[in-house]
Amino acid sequence: MKKKFILSVSLLLSLLAFIGCGRKVDENEIVIWHNMRPEETRILQEQINEYTKSNPGTKVIQLFKETEEMRSGYIIAAIGGQGPELIYGPSDQIGPFVEMNIVKPLDEVFDEQFLSSFNPDALIKVDGRLWQLADKLGNHLMLVYNKDLVPVPPKTELELIEIGKELTIDKTGNGRPDQYGLVWNYTEPYFFIPFLTGFGGWVLDSLNQPSLNTPEMVRALKFIGELRDKHKIIPNEADYNVADALFKEGRAGMMINGDWSWSGYGNAGINYGISILPLITETGQYCKPMIAPKGFSINKNISEDKLKNVKGLLEYLFSPEKQLETALQAKTFPTRLELYNNPELLSDPILNNSKQQIENGIPLPIITEMRAIWDAMRPSYQAVLGGSITAEKAAEQMQKNAEIKIVELRESIENPLWGLIVQILMIVVVIVTLFFLRKSFVGFFRNLAKDSFAYILVLPAVIIMVAVIFYPFVYNIVLSFSNMSLAHIHDWSIIGFIQYAKVFSEPQFYEIFVKTIIWTVVNLFFHVTIGVTLALLLNKNLPGTPIFRTLLILPWAVPQYIVALTWRGMFNYEYGSINLILARYLSMSPIEWLKSPIEAFSAVIITNIWLGFPFMMIIALGALQSIPAELYEAADIDGAKWYHKLKNITIPLIKPVMIPAITLGVIWTFNNLNIVWLVSNAGEPSDKTHILVSYVYKAAFNLYRYGYAAAFSVVLFLILLAFGLTFLRKTKATESVY
Amino acid sequence: MNKKNLIINILTYAFLILFTLVALYPIINVFTISIRPGDKLLSTSLAIIPDNATFQNYIELFTNRPFLLWVGNSAFVSFVVTFTGVALASTAGYALSRFKFIGKHATMLGLLTTQMFPATMLLLPMYIMLIKLELLNSYLGIIIVYSATALPFCIWQMKGYYDTIPFSLEESARIDGCNKWQAFYMIIFPLAAPALVITALFSFMTAWSEYIVAAQVLQDTRLFTLPLGLKSFESNMSTEWGLYAAASLVVSIPVVLLFVILSKWLVSGLTLGSVKG
Repeated sequence: MKKKFILSVSLLLSLLAFIGCGRKVDENEIVIWHNMRPEETRILQEQINEYTKSNPGTKVIQLFKETEEMRSGYIIAAIGGQGPELIYGPSDQIGPFVEMNIVKPLDEVFDEQFLSSFNPDALIKVDGRLWQLADKLGNHLMLVYNKDLVPVPPKTELELIEIGKELTIDKTGNGRPDQYGLVWNYTEPYFFIPFLTGFGGWVLDSLNQPSLNTPEMVRALKFIGELRDKHKIIPNEADYNVADALFKEGRAGMMINGDWSWSGYGNAGINYGISILPLITETGQYCKPMIAPKGFSINKNISEDKLKNVKGLLEYLFSPEKQLETALQAKTFPTRLELYNNPELLSDPILNNSKQQIENGIPLPIITEMRAIWDAMRPSYQAVLGGSITAEKAAEQMQKNAEIKIVELRESIENPLWGLIVQILMIVVVIVTLFFLRKSFVGFFRNLAKDSFAYILVLPAVIIMVAVIFYPFVYNIVLSFSNMSLAHIHDWSIIGFIQYAKVFSEPQFYEIFVKTIIWTVVNLFFHVTIGVTLALLLNKNLPGTPIFRTLLILPWAVPQYIVALTWRGMFNYEYGSINLILARYLSMSPIEWLKSPIEAFSAVIITNIWLGFPFMMIIALGALQSIPAELYEAADIDGAKWYHKLKNITIPLIKPVMIPAITLGVIWTFNNLNIVWLVSNAGEPSDKTHILVSYVYKAAFNLYRYGYAAAFSVVLFLILLAFGLTFLRKTKATESVY
Repeated sequence: MNKKNLIINILTYAFLILFTLVALYPIINVFTISIRPGDKLLSTSLAIIPDNATFQNYIELFTNRPFLLWVGNSAFVSFVVTFTGVALASTAGYALSRFKFIGKHATMLGLLTTQMFPATMLLLPMYIMLIKLELLNSYLGIIIVYSATALPFCIWQMKGYYDTIPFSLEESARIDGCNKWQAFYMIIFPLAAPALVITALFSFMTAWSEYIVAAQVLQDTRLFTLPLGLKSFESNMSTEWGLYAAASLVVSIPVVLLFVILSKWLVSGLTLGSVKG
């Protein structure tokens, strides 16, 4: 028996070693990370296939990544000296990449003559050097309209309101419109930029400083408020998916959306047209969207040999023929100047319209500060559309927050003295710890032989854990005393407790801390009560229980991402099934789940309860198996009631198994980023639904404040450690029962 | 008495049916998305079977996408992690439950503390570490990371369950001539079947649905696990929702199957009482 066991373990280990050694770095391999949509990805793959056919020996791998994940993943990889050879994305990722010194200047790679054949907007320069070469101009918003409802698109905002009013109809007579004039995504300020520019405003002043508290901003915010309250042509609540669904179902006459979306409307059977965004008559200016060039940058860590291959590949992909092919198929706008008078391009109605809108747009600013400005605009913009603050107040808040966030982004703390003190302190702590543990070490070696069986059983698990956790853990503790941020990404140093002081002086820390406690306690309470109740019922082994048992674990089995988004849809004010059920069967008035902070937070909690109860149910079901039926029989003979049995038999006997599950449940729930992120769409409305871990993720990682983020997570760790120690002492879970 | 039992049984069924409906409703929504034409995540209609319903997404999934490759990769990784999890957690949990030794409490607490640090923060150093160990683009790297992620819970879970099994069982086994290993392996290990099922299921789930680490470690598309493959249906603002939903449902089938197969041991009707009572 023992031999068999050891044999299978060693077989497993050798198998692992075999897999691990199989892969070697391939010098002819080029990896591209990109964020193209499926249609563009398909075209890219075809072009890569053609290229590798004529260049045998070269291998090109293209990998899709979601924009944010691509950005953070690339930063991690490139700082680690690795990463893909090519990174493709919107021009605004270049700012931070250049500051972190993780991309290569392209003017070293391509000659001037080649570069002069591009639209100057496609050459993304910072400090006079070229860092990204765009192959597409786009991401531009336009007015998409349903030709069946809107025969002629509006030219001005007055016409837009006029058409919108005609189209906003309450067909069922329930007091709520079933069809809207206009829809767009309310959650991202990117969709608000055209209104701002139409009223003559812009997000930056001539010195690239934020200029958000302006009369133009107030006017534009008021205008969208009027669209909702006065003209009533837009829905009360709409994120990207709601707006998209309304338009695809023919229940919205017009929509503001970008070039990435148009072909999807054709596929959904909508007879759609696109038109440039309307003119604001009051100012005589057009609504101008941001135009984002998208293109390739080369990894700083690339080897000379690979660079030649990469250059060849890029020249192929950038060639006018390939650009034209992509443009005509994917309806994206090319960057080679010689294509701009191409008859095929101009005769395509979508591309021709795009051309007009691009000429009537403003390039996306590539300065790193834009990230701080978006983060500052988002909550206030959402609050205006939610009706909770005035336009004036919102503009003021935007400006104030933008300035604070830019200071945070640019923070550069140096403190060699405290740095030295902390370094000495760390060494002292390690020595003192070792000193106090000396008896344990001596005892360990003395008892090694006696307890060898126990150690042999425990060691393999401990070794794996230490191997994976120890280095990252220590690294993070060190980082939490450091100034690692955008200003010190490679040359960070120890600065002492400053990051910790910042965590505790953060005004929102305490409020979010309380929310996190509520989040954890409510979740755990329902996970355990629902889980244990269901387990008790299932354990009665009535006919049919195996079916229930299987169906009830489904919330745990289905991938979280899509169910979380489905729940978000179910919480929608007008179309979500929860409100419809409340209204139809319980005669309650609909709840604005996602618009007000408390309701939105409840929505996140409800979703997480749903996701978490099957796990506790399974654990409890396992635990109930350890209770001998004789105990209940004996209790029955003694005439015990069900609650006596629950209190005196069931609960004490499932406790040893449930305590670890509850302890870990608390820890996991406390640090559960995903569900908050997905259901509340990263903290909406207005960053009011955060728990600590989602807050630090958004506030610190978005602004590249790695030292601060590390300190914050050490604080989270200490909170949980304090909880863990108290809880375990109270429940004695580390002690054996027998 | 009988009438009372009947009422209790009816109430039990009512409660179970209610919760099953609550558990199923969002998943039925996912199913609706998967058969709805036009890649719509949301709909203003509540119909479970949408207009023009189609199974095109399922056909697409199995014919035009390397879905089966991803399933195979994920299955391999998950089974190795499950095996490692069960093997290491059942032994370590046993030692922690039965023996007193120096470092026991430190180990118990150490296991717990590994779960306390926000995982996203550990990504950067973990990545740097995997580069240095040349474990990028290999399954060994993620298998070790997944095992380490799953182990703390599994060990604690196993320990808790062993604690409910009386010591007297091993004592009588030792008297009957078993050595320490045999007492564990032949007597206690089979009795812990319900906890082993949970350990196996949990280890499997950890590896089966993990995305963040896999996305950093695996770059070669041939090595992609299911969550990475699923992610490729997604893109900024133009996700292939129909495919995504279809794949999500297909992905959950193995978990359910595994559970159904294992649940035989989850309720194996152990006769602990004969010893204890």
